[in-house]
Formats: sequence, C-alpha cells, structure tokens
Amino acid sequence: MSARTGLPARGWGALVAAEARMVARDTSGLVVPLLLPPLILVMVGTTAPDLPPEVLGDRSVVEVVGLPIACATVLALVGMVNVPSFVATYRRSGVLRRLGVTPAGPAPVLLAQGIVGVAQVAAGIGVAFGVAAVAFGAGIPAAPWAALGGLVLATAAFFALGAAVAALAPTANAAIAAGVVLFFGTGMLGGMFGDPRALPGPLAGIGRVLPYGATAEVLGTAWRGVAPDPGAVAGLAVTVLVGAGVAVRFFRWT
Amino acid sequence: MPPATGTVVVVDAIEVRGLRKRYGGTTAADGVDLTVPAGTVVGLLGPNGVGKTTTVECVAGLRTPDSGTVRVLGLDPRRDRRAVRAVLGVQLQEAALHDMLTAGELMALHRALHRTGRDPGGLLDAVGLGAQAGIRSDRLSGGQRQRLSVALALVGAPRVVVLDELTTGLDPASRETVLDLVRGLAAGGVAVLLVSHRMDEVERLCDRAVLLDAGRVVADASPDGLVAAAGLAPRVRFRTDAVVDRSALCALPGVDAVTRTGHEVAVTGRGELLGPVGAELVRQGVVATGLRAERPTLDDAFLALTGHRAGPRAEVAA
Repeated sequence: MSARTGLPARGWGALVAAEARMVARDTSGLVVPLLLPPLILVMVGTTAPDLPPEVLGDRSVVEVVGLPIACATVLALVGMVNVPSFVATYRRSGVLRRLGVTPAGPAPVLLAQGIVGVAQVAAGIGVAFGVAAVAFGAGIPAAPWAALGGLVLATAAFFALGAAVAALAPTANAAIAAGVVLFFGTGMLGGMFGDPRALPGPLAGIGRVLPYGATAEVLGTAWRGVAPDPGAVAGLAVTVLVGAGVAVRFFRWT
Repeated sequence: MPPATGTVVVVDAIEVRGLRKRYGGTTAADGVDLTVPAGTVVGLLGPNGVGKTTTVECVAGLRTPDSGTVRVLGLDPRRDRRAVRAVLGVQLQEAALHDMLTAGELMALHRALHRTGRDPGGLLDAVGLGAQAGIRSDRLSGGQRQRLSVALALVGAPRVVVLDELTTGLDPASRETVLDLVRGLAAGGVAVLLVSHRMDEVERLCDRAVLLDAGRVVADASPDGLVAAAGLAPRVRFRTDAVVDRSALCALPGVDAVTRTGHEVAVTGRGELLGPVGAELVRQGVVATGLRAERPTLDDAFLALTGHRAGPRAEVAA
C-alpha cells in the first residue's frame, strides 16, 4: 500500500469552498457583521463625541474610536457568535463524526470554518474602512504595522474565545446565546455604546483589558501612532491563552 | 529478491478478533470475532443494544477497543487511521449531512476528500437521486437522505464498505435500488459489512450472517446454514373443524410431532411433508383449509438461537 493517504489539496479547497457556501447561505450571520460596523461608524461620526486631545491626538474620532470599535464588533460577531454556532451545529448533527471516517478527518473542517471566518472578518473590516474613508475621510493608521499586529492579536483572542464557546456549548443555540452574551458584555464595558471612561472606575478598568475594549485601545492608539496601554495587549494575549486552553481541554468531537 | 512463487497471502478485508468494549458498567462487545473476505457481503445481525454499532465503530476507527484486534485490509483503524480512511467507506446510522449544502454539492465535496473515486453524478443517479442533485439536504425526505448517505459512503470507491442499517426508511422501490448497488459492490470485489435487523434483507443479500447477542457472536454461517444450525424443523399447518386422527399423522414417514391449538394443526418433521400430510387428510376425509408448508426463516432461526426476535420490538436496554 504505497498510495498516498490523507486529505488531498483539492479536498482542502473543497472544504473551504463548502464552508464559504454555507456561511453565505446563513443570511443573518452573513449580513450583520457587514452592516452593523457601518452603523456604528455613522453613529460615532455624526454624533462626534466631544473627546479631549489627549485621547484623539491629531486624528478624527472616527479613526481613533469609530473604526477600532467597528473592527472589534466584526471580530466579536464572527469569532464569538458565527463560527462557534457552525461548529456546535456540526458536532450536534454528527457532521464531525461523519467526516471522521473520510480521509479528511474532523479537524480540517474546523480549520476550513476558521479560514472562512477570517475571510468574513476581512470583508467586514474592509466594508467598515471603506465607509469610514468615503463618508468621514478616514485615513490609514499612523502606525500601520502596529495596527496589523494588533488586529492579528485581536483576531486570535476573539477566535480563541469562540473556540472555548464551541467547546463548552452543547448546541448551536447555546453557542449563539453564550456568544451574544459575551459580545454585549465585553462590548458594553469596552465602548460599544459610548465612551467607556463614563463607566464607574473598576468597570472601566475591566473593560479596557477584556478583548473588545483592548482591541479598541490597541487599534485606536495605532491610528494615532502612540504606544498602546500594556494592559490591553496583555489582556488580549491572556485571552488567547485561556480561550485556547479551555477549547483544547474541553472540546468534544461528538 | 523476488517473492517466493506460489506464496498467497489471504487477508480478510475486515478481521475482528476477540473485540471487547465496555461503557461504564455495560459490556457492549464481549469477545466478538468477525471476518469479511473481499467480494462478499457479511451481515451483522441482532436486536438493538447487542454491540453491532460498537463493533462497527471500532472497525471504522471511531472507538478504541478495550481489548482484541481489529484490522481493515491488514491495517489498524486507530494506529493507521489515515490509510484506513482512504480504503474504507462508512455509512453511519445517522445521516449527518451538512444541512445547507445540496445533494450534488455534498457528493462533490466528499469526492474531493478522496484521491480516487467514482463519478459523483453517476453515483447519485445510481441511488435514484439524479433529479434531486440541486436540492439542499435538509429539504430531502428521510429516505432520500438515507440514499444520499449511502452514495457518500461509496464516492471514494472504497475497497471495504460498512453500511449501518442500510435501508431504514426506504420505500420498497428505493430499497431494491440500494440492494442492487450493494450486490454490484461485492461483485466488483468490495468487502461489505452490513449491519441490519431485517432478516429478509440479510437472507437475500448476504453470503454470511453473524448473529450477535449480548455482545457475543452466537452464530456465524450462511443464512441457510443459520437456519439449519437453529435445528428448526419444517412445518405443515392447516385449519380444520373436524376430528383428526393424530396418531395416523404421526405415523407418516418424516413426521416428528403433531400439535393442535383450537382449529389450528401443525405437523413438524423432516423432509417433504406437504404431500404425505395432504394425502392422509384426504384418506381421513378431513376438510382442511389453508394447508401450507412453512420453511423456517432466518427470523425463526434468530428467535431459536437468541431467545428473542430480531426486530426493533426486541429492543433491550443498551
């Protein structure tokens, strides 16, 4: 038996294409991460909260606040709600088990879903940036590499949290419920509904290191070109480790 | 060095030896032995909860046996799982399909997961789903999903196939289609392990039948052989209101016993009984209705060998 085994390259392509098709057919999951961020931008851009120069530097409120929370929103929705709901559905319906008896095995379908999730994040952020640039004259970050690094770290953090949700949630509905609670919980503390500095001191402190607020902080400072709060970077890094650890410890294939 | 001439290594496509598997306090498989040679269909029979699915899951590499060995074309389904997945096609009891993909898309996806395989469109046609290729799998009927599941198991042109409750939920015409497909597989040299509790299906399709009861193999023979092994006598039955001379019937050659329950009389024995019994009834001037010979079926054999029926009503706590 010298025949090569395992998943052929064509199989990887087919798995990613299949996941992309299903994500595209899941209308609400597709549309919300594309439309909610522009709404947030319009809200921030038109109400233009009165922020002091030590927060904005020489950039606009859409660049320092609007785009960072739009990016955090896309990441939180796709990473913590959409991807876990697909994974929980696959486990529940036996798809992972079914693929376990093909040359693919069950793991590549998770990776394919992750790849499509990242593509969806890229699309959502692309749409948000396009709207910000056209409607509010936003430009690229003053520290583009810091922004990119922050985005990669933030993506890892939200997907790791999503993996933990997928590992612990018994059903797709449970995954969506848990994801939405995390979305609003971290979002509320992290500035989704307005300047988090208006929150009571301890809550604002917590919100700044949780993934949503930390993402907004890291991207906002990258737009200004100043160093981020080390607590925010550490918060994202710890989220990656804890989320991945929980996922690895508790994930079940069936 | 060329291999020594005349050396033939016969490897059973599926070989299970002394398979044991416990879940908590329940023993699902308790020393199962089973072989499936290439080009044959072997039926794995038994009521629910006797270890059929556990055995199949160990063959498919989905579970690790507590003890015993499992080999698929000489490979260990756990240790050599990649090699086994390439040659083994499995249809699991639950269809487990991606809901949002169409039948055609699912076939193309599963075909792409294999390096070699069959034409997805042709195979969909072969299971009678050619017209449903564009329909999402969550909108297919139960029987259509079942047939799609069978087609997906075969699209990688596997050399060994495991089919778990193949025809559940299929209408008679679809059943024939699927049974023909399985016959064709065996004719092409594929080894087929068929899990079933439909005795008629096993009688028609299988070269050998392995009967499981409480995690053990209680019989392993051809379907005819199983019936013979159960030691069930052929029987002639008829109904009558009249008084029958039972001792005269008993004296007929080959007759072992005559029993009467109300109007129903049963004559059991060996060999051809219908002619002599009919002639004797005429001689006695007994008017009988419904005179018929009954060959014991695999169902009867199952009952005799295990003490309960094979069907779903015999379900026992797993």
